[in-house]
Amino acid sequence: MITNPSHYISHRMAAREPSRYLTRALPRASVPSIRPQGFLSRRNVSDEAPARRLSDHFTELESASSLSTTVPNSAAASFDPLARAAARKNQLPRGRYQFRSPKYNRGPLHPHQPPPPSHPSSRLFVPGPFSAPRAEQTFDSTVSPDIMTLCYVHTPPGFKPPPKSARLREWDDSSPYHKNRVLRGPRGGDVLRLLRKPIKFNNIPEIERITIHSYVKNAAAERNSSWLHVAGIAVQAISNVRVETFKSKSNVAPWGIAANRDSVAVKAELFGENMYHFLGKLVDVVLPRIKDWEGVKGSSGDSSGNITFGLVPENVALFPELEINYDMYPPKMIPGCHITLHTTAKTDKDARLLLSAMGIPFYGKIVN
Amino acid sequence: MSMHTSLRRTAATITNSTTTILPTRLPTQSSGTTFVCSQCRHATLLRRPKRPYTFTQLITLSDGSTFTHRTTSPAPIYRSTRDTRNSLLWNPSSSKLMNVEEDEAGRLAAFRARFGRSFDASAPVVETEAAKDPVAAKQAEADAKAQAKADQEEEDNLLDLISAFGQNEAPPPPEKKTPKFTGKK
Repeated sequence: MITNPSHYISHRMAAREPSRYLTRALPRASVPSIRPQGFLSRRNVSDEAPARRLSDHFTELESASSLSTTVPNSAAASFDPLARAAARKNQLPRGRYQFRSPKYNRGPLHPHQPPPPSHPSSRLFVPGPFSAPRAEQTFDSTVSPDIMTLCYVHTPPGFKPPPKSARLREWDDSSPYHKNRVLRGPRGGDVLRLLRKPIKFNNIPEIERITIHSYVKNAAAERNSSWLHVAGIAVQAISNVRVETFKSKSNVAPWGIAANRDSVAVKAELFGENMYHFLGKLVDVVLPRIKDWEGVKGSSGDSSGNITFGLVPENVALFPELEINYDMYPPKMIPGCHITLHTTAKTDKDARLLLSAMGIPFYGKIVN
Repeated sequence: MSMHTSLRRTAATITNSTTTILPTRLPTQSSGTTFVCSQCRHATLLRRPKRPYTFTQLITLSDGSTFTHRTTSPAPIYRSTRDTRNSLLWNPSSSKLMNVEEDEAGRLAAFRARFGRSFDASAPVVETEAAKDPVAAKQAEADAKAQAKADQEEEDNLLDLISAFGQNEAPPPPEKKTPKFTGKK
């Protein structure tokens, strides 16, 4: 289009003068045709017909505009949709058409696709969050600026950190068989630790999720599943989350547990709102009530920012949700649990800094 | 989700591995490729997530501060008696929460200073506190000494008062504080 300048100019002119086509179309009958008619003696029906029809249409149009008609003042005064909606006693019936998500996912090539889980009509939709948990507000307002300040490392302008050697080492080409061989692992062990980047405003460690896990050793002992049911309901009560059950991966002969046969463990994964509610409840109400509790052991953690500690059944019974109807749970069946606090910190040191700021005490030798 | 996990593999793979070594192969024999089924023919049920019903609960901590949280417990208010506000682990510097005997008037210390036996006269303060906080122990010791001294002075004043009774119009002396021997708390 741009390559043809004349076309381009005409197009722009047309945009500037919208009435040009109209003026051309209106008096089609009276305007002499551009084509010299003398050379072409042949006439078509289509030459004349549209012009005639157009003029007919224009003569049928009303001359008076509807915009000029005046609205009576009473109609304007009575138009109040808000008051009408408020005065309505019953709700209006819902729209005739309501989308229902398909019950089954039939694969990516099926024409009837379920909506994404974030869509309210999806069957997987989970509404929320409905509240701003206190622990989350504490983190946002207090803890995260503190951590950023504490972890700040000043480097003068123009500072360049010394180059680090690659973590995976090259092979020295002493042997022809080193060609295309995969790189060597790091010195001192095969494990590649997470890389810790300097903590800036955009990677302040925060709590990612909390896992409550409970291994019920009596789950298979008495040939009834009541231990697992009680454990699952207790964990659900303290966590607000439906639990998953897991089968044992190994045989445990003294407890009568066979691999891949017996469901022995329950787990609840907490994210977001549930996670912060649980953390606040744990720190403020439950942990202080544990008798002679020193805190979380300082050597706990998987050295990549996840800290685990355990609660024995007597401590789990201290949760207010279990206390409120303590009689519902058979006392000997209340489970202990392991609570793992997954953080986005890359090292346990940062995770401990975060968690101690959130109110979890640590004791003993602090490792890493 | 399970669509990706349940990729079926057709059983068209070669079973005999010896033939792969041979350069020439029969044309009818299938090659070693596995045919991964790209389309899954079964349907996966989209289960609605189960969520336990939660209530909003007001938690009142022991110092009166409150906050709300969502919980499965139906009680609208939870009053805690033991929480971060009054446990020693979260308030390590709070002398109120430490296991210290209340001796504001110094009476116990005065009693010990006067009638204490060897086992508690030598250490007028509780051993646990002395072991924990030497500064507080020293302070308490100083208090005890000052109290004993004050008592002694008071007694002297009283003797003076008796001897000097009626000689001049002195204002009435302050009330005598007799240490009550209530024993150890």
